[in-house]
Amino acid sequence: MIKITNLEKIYRTEEVETVALNKLSMQVAEGEFVAVMGPSGCGKSTLLNILGLLDDPDGGSFLFNGIEVSRFNERKRADLRKRNIGFVFQSFNLIDELTVFENVELPLIYLGVSTSERKSRVEAVLDKMQIMHRRNHYPQQLSGGQQQRVAVARAVVNKPKLILADEPTGNLDSSNGNEVMQLLTDLNEQGTTIVMVTHSEHDARYSHRIIRMLDGQTVLENLMV
Amino acid sequence: MLQNFFKVAIRNLIRHKGFSFINIAGLTFGLTACMLITLFVWDEKQYDRFLPNGERVYRIYNESTNNEGVRMLAPVPPMFATTLQQDFPAVEKTARIMMQPEYSRLFEAGKVKLYEASGFYVDSTYFDIFQLPFKYGSRKDALDDPASIVISEEMSRRFFGNDNPVGKSLLMEKQPFFVKGVFYKHPKFHLQFNYLVPMAAAGIPADRIQSWRWQQFYSYVKVKKGADVQKLEAEFKKTVAQKTETFRKEDRMTFNPFFQRLEDIHLYSADFKYDMSVRGNITYVKALTIIAVFILLIACFNFINLATAKSLQRAKEVGVRKSIGANRKQLMIQFTGETILLAFISILFSVVLTFLFLPLLNQFTDKQISFPLFTNPIVLLLLFLLTVLVGVLAGFYPALVLSGFHPVKVLKGNVVSDVLPGRIPWLRHGLVVIQFTLSVLLIISALVVYRQVKYLHNKDLGFSKEQIMFFPMRGDQLFRNHESFKNELLQSPGISSVSIGYGFPGDAVAGDQIIVPRNGEQKIYSATHLIVDHDYIKTLGLQLVVGRDFSKQIKTDKDEAFIINETAVKELGFGTPGRALGQTLLWPTWNDQRPDSLKKGMIIGVVKDFHYKSLYDKLETAVLHIYPDAYWKVAVKMKAAAIDQSIQHVKQVWNRYTPDYPIEYNFLDESFGKMYKAEDKLKALVWVFTAIAISVGCLGLFGLAAFAAERRKKEVGIRKVLGASVRGVVLLLSKDFVKLVLISLLIASPVAWYFMNQWLQDFAYRIDLGLWVFVVAGVSALMIALITVSFQAIKAAIANPVKSLRTE
Repeated sequence: MIKITNLEKIYRTEEVETVALNKLSMQVAEGEFVAVMGPSGCGKSTLLNILGLLDDPDGGSFLFNGIEVSRFNERKRADLRKRNIGFVFQSFNLIDELTVFENVELPLIYLGVSTSERKSRVEAVLDKMQIMHRRNHYPQQLSGGQQQRVAVARAVVNKPKLILADEPTGNLDSSNGNEVMQLLTDLNEQGTTIVMVTHSEHDARYSHRIIRMLDGQTVLENLMV
Repeated sequence: MLQNFFKVAIRNLIRHKGFSFINIAGLTFGLTACMLITLFVWDEKQYDRFLPNGERVYRIYNESTNNEGVRMLAPVPPMFATTLQQDFPAVEKTARIMMQPEYSRLFEAGKVKLYEASGFYVDSTYFDIFQLPFKYGSRKDALDDPASIVISEEMSRRFFGNDNPVGKSLLMEKQPFFVKGVFYKHPKFHLQFNYLVPMAAAGIPADRIQSWRWQQFYSYVKVKKGADVQKLEAEFKKTVAQKTETFRKEDRMTFNPFFQRLEDIHLYSADFKYDMSVRGNITYVKALTIIAVFILLIACFNFINLATAKSLQRAKEVGVRKSIGANRKQLMIQFTGETILLAFISILFSVVLTFLFLPLLNQFTDKQISFPLFTNPIVLLLLFLLTVLVGVLAGFYPALVLSGFHPVKVLKGNVVSDVLPGRIPWLRHGLVVIQFTLSVLLIISALVVYRQVKYLHNKDLGFSKEQIMFFPMRGDQLFRNHESFKNELLQSPGISSVSIGYGFPGDAVAGDQIIVPRNGEQKIYSATHLIVDHDYIKTLGLQLVVGRDFSKQIKTDKDEAFIINETAVKELGFGTPGRALGQTLLWPTWNDQRPDSLKKGMIIGVVKDFHYKSLYDKLETAVLHIYPDAYWKVAVKMKAAAIDQSIQHVKQVWNRYTPDYPIEYNFLDESFGKMYKAEDKLKALVWVFTAIAISVGCLGLFGLAAFAAERRKKEVGIRKVLGASVRGVVLLLSKDFVKLVLISLLIASPVAWYFMNQWLQDFAYRIDLGLWVFVVAGVSALMIALITVSFQAIKAAIANPVKSLRTE
């Protein structure tokens, strides 16, 4: 599903040049659950952002389902993103002005799904995430675990092929964290590809494969059994 | 999707109450001011547009140059219309109105006896050109009979109640007329009058109506369909040049006729002389329009500034929306849409405010402007367009900034400002500079207008206008016995002097000529004739420079003496007042029975210049002399302590002499004050709108200061922990804004200087644009800005630093 070759990303400020990704190559197959680990500043998040088409690389190739997407313009990327990719962030990133239901509904709105269908799909996913009873609450009224469940619900509501999770349990206590990891595992078992950036060895154990990064390169790959 | 946008927009408005309030209040003020001004301007532009075929009607005016300079004269000689009708096939019809001094005539019908102020002698073709609707009678032959009169519906009600007066008799100054028609007045007609009498009734001698130099008639032309008016005007100019050649040389003046479009008369005749139309002033209309645009811009800039400053608060939302697939266009539409919503809410409020304030504006401007919101679909359409315009104008740039945020950066919380640290936010500062430039411009204009108007009211006019009761003479008995009437008035201890004549300050004066015999030649000059008696100089408190006042002891003073003003000394070429004494002057008198009679006399005195006209007019050559045939007006100087008794006394004496006529009086200082009504109103309007503009600007500045304080909360906390004083912090936070105001001042001052000088050019007597006006404007702008900003700065400075650091 994902094939990247010699990917480069360099951040420049007036005085300093930081190499975030240094000719990185990797592949993720459909249905895989991959964890990316490494110390702060090793380029994990940059990688995730490029995989999510939120950022573009400075060099190298990125094939998504066999299509070269690294030179896509903003409009094409937004289009690809909304059809194929779901995001889960460490800090949840829910829109404060929208209710639980409306937050989850948002990706479907951008996809142009009809009102009635939106309603049934959002309700189904909220049900699945066991957060239906909170549908009319605003994010600030929820606990961290609940917020992340909403975020996951929002990430999966449009049935993406790929979920990108950036330290999804980073802001949660261990029991809430385990719940979210279980959710992701379930999704993976139903066929969704997952790439997760994490600092937690515990969380990484939920994945099939761990990619370890240092200074913008992969240094090691562990297959989980 | 729209529903989602709408929901987010509404919730955002509610969540950020302060921000929403500032923006909605600013836009509401701005839009209300705009709407009121637009209604006023629109109303001013409606004059004469109601008349059928008005696009084919023109007024002829005369640009005349003589020793006093160039003047636009609204009245022209009678032969202009006659010739146009006879010799120019492009002309369909002409009509003349005779110019007369403003003078109320006494009308009587049965027991009703009232003065009517406005009426004209007109050609019988009048209603062919101005097709006013009639209530009774017919327009067609309404003015054919010299004994007929046509009256307005209002006047008809005053004299005849609800009856149809057609065929009934109406006495005008004791002379019988019969009513032939009743017309409806139109508030948007440049001529406002209550009655019309056929020209034939005016008794103009046949030779005078053939005159090419007697500039006494407002003349209108209706051209045929498709006529080339420019060509017509050019040909007519040639004809006038030929016909007036001889006397133009004699009188040393030029004659240049122009065709003025009917719809231009109201707004484009402000500097015309002897014009009796209801006139507006295009300069003031333009000034108000500019102010309206200024205020709207200031309000829109507020929004742009606040929205971009505040954009951080929306950044996360942008990041999230983008990460789940929103593209930039969708976000642009969303954010611009939110601004349009905001503009829409503001428009709703402004409509309400406009309805509330319109009666005040009407009262103030003597207008009956209505706000046809529900009756005219165009108004709704315009409001809709205005909403979109304001929404896009104010919302486009913030939407561009917001939608351009990089999702990765904003989601990481890396964007702390829409501007990098250390960089100047050019756009925001630029807009604040523009706002303050506009505000300073308005402040300077308001100050200059205020000072000039004050000057007009308070300038030493060279005579004393206080406590002078003023009224026209009425009735034969009064005219015949003016001497004894005057003596009886003087019986009251409260009355210090009385003068009867024609040509009192603030009232109509007679423009005529004076002849100076020199080296066997007779040189003709234009001159104002002030017809006086022996007490004129005393009553008005004029100062004699040399020579003496008229004296009853010297019998020749009555027929053979002139007193001139200082300007006349120069204009007539005498050099010094001393040398003018004893010089001879000649004047062709106003005696219709003996048209060629000449009054010959000697200059016995020179008075200091005094302003008998408004300060728009330059001082002219004035000649004072005694001519009892024109004893038409009375001025009574009273002692301040005894005004009421004195008025009673005047009334009693009046009723003994001329009981048929009710007395109608005013006070000279009042009529002088009224001369500057337009300027008084301009002054008030400029102040009101300047205040609105400044308030709107300050609202924005207040918001910006709040955001600046918010953004630098951590910096302020650290500085305070390190020992910064409250004063130091306030200074730190205010410094930037002060710089911006100073830059605005630098830009606004020369612009204001230029435009205010242009405006002051209209006045013959004007204030100097002193440096201090700019200093005062600058200091006030600075103070206003400082007070606005320092409120936020002080709040930030006295906040507990521990708190702000903890939240980081």
